[in-house]
Amino acid sequence: VPAAELVLCSYCDTVHRRIEPAGREIMRCVVCDSPVYRGDGDLGAMLAVTVTAAIAFLVANALPLLTLSSGSHQTRATLWHAIAASYDRELPFVAIALTLTLIVAPAIELGLLLWLLVPLCLRTLPLGFTSTMGLLRTLRPWRMVGVFFLGVIVAVVKLAALATAVPGWGMFGVAVLALALASLSSFDLGTLWRRAGEVAP
Amino acid sequence: MIRGIDVGLATCHGCELVVRMRDVGDHAATACPRCDASVRFRKRNARTHVIALLVAALALYFPANALTIMYTEQFPERRADTILSGVRYLWARGSWGLAMIVFAASIVVPVLKLGALGFLVVSTTRHSAWRPRARTRLYRSLEVIGHWSMLDVFVVALLTAVVQLGQFARVKPGPAVLPFAGVVILTMLASASFDARAIWDRGMRE
Repeated sequence: VPAAELVLCSYCDTVHRRIEPAGREIMRCVVCDSPVYRGDGDLGAMLAVTVTAAIAFLVANALPLLTLSSGSHQTRATLWHAIAASYDRELPFVAIALTLTLIVAPAIELGLLLWLLVPLCLRTLPLGFTSTMGLLRTLRPWRMVGVFFLGVIVAVVKLAALATAVPGWGMFGVAVLALALASLSSFDLGTLWRRAGEVAP
Repeated sequence: MIRGIDVGLATCHGCELVVRMRDVGDHAATACPRCDASVRFRKRNARTHVIALLVAALALYFPANALTIMYTEQFPERRADTILSGVRYLWARGSWGLAMIVFAASIVVPVLKLGALGFLVVSTTRHSAWRPRARTRLYRSLEVIGHWSMLDVFVVALLTAVVQLGQFARVKPGPAVLPFAGVVILTMLASASFDARAIWDRGMRE
């Protein structure tokens, strides 16, 4: 049997023969019951989710996450304002942590995905395919937008003691971004490798 | 059931290609024909890495819980909260659901991760044959819940940042934030370093 038709369970090392499931069904290991692989998703659908995530990312960055009011005082807090304010008040760790997890990491991930998916959907091989795939795989487990969204909710409740906080459209953007990224991680990166194998000369 | 290591097959960690290995033996490495990463049967020095990361995480665990994570000041009131007193505060304000979520994410999950990984390392070192399926499931759940412990770090960072914008109060992160973030990152690295196949290397049932 050629190695390309085989899959190893990454949890118990059992050898399975790869059979294509009908949809994006998850195939589980017969020995340890772990998910081994799932059916290939449609690259066009994956691109659509990526574009949705990119739009949500812009909304999350540009529009206010919260509107705070205390007495006659009202502030609209966008992510950028909050980061800039904490940097100005000599809290660089806060500014750096928020920038990395909420702006840099999603921007890189979405950028890499677009870089790969647009050419692959047009049936050409993206430049630097192998290294881009490697980077994407390394970054995946460190994604924290979902955790951040829960963090915003807890922060709003705690803020209620200090001021009146009303969630804004930016928060809606964060929620959609978290959902879109979660849906993207349900696609197997192996799909991209197989498509690249088809289009490569 | 046939296992990869018995027939000279291994999966590339870089691109998930199944590679026919040129050498056999525990330390054999073959360059992946697709992405050129070095393919091995097992993660290298997995046990040593996991133990080192767990010890470091355990050392940070105590300051992370004992020190103040957040200072709040709204004239005339001042508060200094640890992780646990933050949970109590949410509970006292009537946000029971959120209090339970924060308690689970910040207190239960880190303890569970340290304990479960320690148990997995000890049981695989002793070549235990005890319920390998259950231990594999335990390991998989650690991978899923790992990063949710970052919740409190985000809450502190966000509150600090947002409050800087208004003039009504002052919030400052406390000294526990960095050790706490360290615990979360180190335990995430530790669970990524563990090789679940070690559970099955001796515990195979025919």
